[in-house]
Amino acid sequence: MELFLQSIVNSLIQGGFFALWAVGLVLVFGVMGVVNFAHGELVMVGAYCIWLMHAQYETPYLVALVLAVLVVMLLGVGMERFLFRPKREDVLGGLINSIGMLFILQVAAHVVGGTGPAKQVAPPFSGTLVLGELLRLPYQRLFALAVSAAALLVLFYFLTRTRLGWSLRAVALDREAAALQGININRTSMIAIGVSGALAGLAGALMAPMTNIYPHMGHNVIITSFIVTIVGGIGSLSGAVLAAFLYAFLHTFVTAYVSGTVATMSGLLIMVLVLIVRPTGLVGQRVSE
Amino acid sequence: MALLEVRNVVKRFSGLVALNDVSFCVEAGSIHGLIGPNGAGKSTLFKNIAGFYQPNAGDILFDGVSLRGRSPHAIAALGVVRTFQETTLFQELTVRENVLIGCHLRARSNLFAALLGLDRARQGAAAGRTAEILAFMDLADRAEQPAAELPLGSQRALAIAIALAAGPRLLLMDEPFAGMNPEETRHMMDLTRKVVESGITVVLVEHDMKAVMGLCGVLTVLNFGGVLAEGSPEAIRSNPRVIEAYLGGAG
Amino acid sequence: MSRRALVRSAAIAALLAALVVLPHFLQFHHQDFLIFLGINVLVVVSYRLMTLTGEWSLIHVVMMGVGAYASALLAKQLGVSFWLSMPMAGVVAASVAALLSFPLFRMTQFYFLIGSFAVGEAIRLAWIYFVFPFGGSSGINNVPVPELGGLDFFEPVTYFYLVLAVVTLSLAILYRIENSRIGLTLLAVHWKAPLAESVGVDTWRYRALAFVVASFFVGIAGALKVHYLGIVTPHQFGVGVMVFVLIWVILGGYNTFFGPVIGAVVLSILDEAIRQFNDELSDIVNFDFAVMRPAIYGVLLIVVIMAMPRGLESIAPNIATWLRERRGR
Repeated sequence: MELFLQSIVNSLIQGGFFALWAVGLVLVFGVMGVVNFAHGELVMVGAYCIWLMHAQYETPYLVALVLAVLVVMLLGVGMERFLFRPKREDVLGGLINSIGMLFILQVAAHVVGGTGPAKQVAPPFSGTLVLGELLRLPYQRLFALAVSAAALLVLFYFLTRTRLGWSLRAVALDREAAALQGININRTSMIAIGVSGALAGLAGALMAPMTNIYPHMGHNVIITSFIVTIVGGIGSLSGAVLAAFLYAFLHTFVTAYVSGTVATMSGLLIMVLVLIVRPTGLVGQRVSE
Repeated sequence: MALLEVRNVVKRFSGLVALNDVSFCVEAGSIHGLIGPNGAGKSTLFKNIAGFYQPNAGDILFDGVSLRGRSPHAIAALGVVRTFQETTLFQELTVRENVLIGCHLRARSNLFAALLGLDRARQGAAAGRTAEILAFMDLADRAEQPAAELPLGSQRALAIAIALAAGPRLLLMDEPFAGMNPEETRHMMDLTRKVVESGITVVLVEHDMKAVMGLCGVLTVLNFGGVLAEGSPEAIRSNPRVIEAYLGGAG
Repeated sequence: MSRRALVRSAAIAALLAALVVLPHFLQFHHQDFLIFLGINVLVVVSYRLMTLTGEWSLIHVVMMGVGAYASALLAKQLGVSFWLSMPMAGVVAASVAALLSFPLFRMTQFYFLIGSFAVGEAIRLAWIYFVFPFGGSSGINNVPVPELGGLDFFEPVTYFYLVLAVVTLSLAILYRIENSRIGLTLLAVHWKAPLAESVGVDTWRYRALAFVVASFFVGIAGALKVHYLGIVTPHQFGVGVMVFVLIWVILGGYNTFFGPVIGAVVLSILDEAIRQFNDELSDIVNFDFAVMRPAIYGVLLIVVIMAMPRGLESIAPNIATWLRERRGR
């Protein structure tokens, strides 16, 4: 029973992370039409920022978090400007460029962090909320969940209530039509990947005190993001959020009761199933090409 | 029995009804014209017949056999081949290679036979058939040219040649006269008559009225996804509802 | 035979002769390298067959693993002779590919890429999870060396001749396929699938055929690798390796048969050179440059995509054109 309740809580927290990851990927794919294979590495950079600034240089955690978000956002914008924009017409080229970036970022992490065992960052919020005898909720995790949820709400507001957000959605729906209406595609792309980077950096920064930090940690992120994005529907943000939480529950429970490997395998096979049976995913409407 | 029978076909695209209870018959050996204003559903109908779309309701019978649920290549194997709007060719290949691909149904290649060199006879048959068809379509002297370099008239002729290589009994021609000058139009009309004379039934979707009136024995007029009228070219030409559909209304 | 074909045959014969003689002039370490180079060439040329249909999969390297595991299990657990287990490795990989064709080829392009990636990862995870029979994370070791009469296949030179023979034969077959009507049809499926369908080409079947044949040959490459190394693990067939294959194909260019070969050869030599340079350098400076290698490939990938999108193979005609223009002035 304890495991069951704990798993529910863990699922929610994981779901928050999965949602942050997947939403970033969907934004870039929807607005820019490109699959950013280095997306996992952006999250990794966010985590490394925390390790470097907070654990090594003792910057206060919240300051380091904001800085991590800014760093990864700028990294994303740089990628748009130099790697994706020149290859706007050549989707495969942009994708390969992102793979190149993936390698560069992994090595950068090696250089900055050295090649030792995975790093760990002590949680800045210590203490646990204990509910009866069944639930232990570390404040660190509650903080992460709260911030994830807040970020997703802010994003939702941004996309549906602001003019900038509307321009993003317009470009995602029909780039040519949006351009004809005077929307600046370059600027919109930069914003899309900037937001994607910010979310990735935030996710990495929130994860840092709770997980092992090592250069290849992005691998898991990109696989999960693919699964969630496809299952949720390739064009849909709300689909991605929904799928993120569903997958988080699946993954957490299967890991708890069977194994992590089997959990990921199931996720992959479900994704393939969705691709076969309903390529538009749970919620998604448009299918590219 | 008609060679092709379209029976109460309905085709919907998420709310929009593109074809609404369309029925008509095509007799073997005829040149049957399918005309109508833009957006009437002519190309959509072709795609349904050739298997690129599936009708939501109704049936399509070729020589008594239902085409519903079959994939395009299976329908081609039954003898129904379509050409495409806007010159669709294998641009990177030569004229000869284009037609060679069309020979797929008539001279199938087998992987192991090809590797062991055992299929010399079949390759010879394919090469022979290609040469025949190129001669038939007056393309023999351009055989080694890349398809992309051909003038418009020859490109359209090549598209038909590819289709012929598949050995169809029914050829669906989708706007082959688009963008042609009078001389090219005349040449293409001659080629079309030659195709029919060789025993192939033709259904022609076309906007060029000179070609349509000059070639077709029967016309079916579509408007807003439904059959507006059907009959000989003279009857259609003077049909007031047809005239109104083209000139008035939403045209 | 036309003059061009004659010249080309002579060039290939000369190359083969050189390759036969070469190992005797090299150190052990480089003989080792030649074996892996040969295997890499087979991997990349078999991948190219798939790209002819315009479908880029991310599962190719995993199929190599399928062949490797098949041969390892057959040879070690069932005592099957290498000379049988190697072709069987190809057959097993081809069969798995045939089965996977049903789900995978319901998708195209981007979805196929992601789907193939997912299935590949799932297979790799299966190797890790099912300790019986795949040995889990440590894989299978003590895979027997081939035996034939008095030949010692433990010797790199001898094994190299084996690899040379198998790879040359495989390349000949792949070349033949590409230049046959089947190859032509594969291209047709790539460029204008609807047109091909309209003349009776079952595009699904041809895509699946390319995948199955490509998997057959890369399965054989897997068998060659495992019987030389003596060990197979899931980590030998991860995404990193798949990306290498992509780099070879993209760097070399994939419009000609030999483009990917050029890519594989140039990059394998480069990789080896960097490794040697790193060994020497880290004796002097206390830093493990091996870590930098992926970044070098990352930069290389980006440079190629930006500056030479058609790959190295396009350089030769470009140089010829450039020379011609200069002479014209």
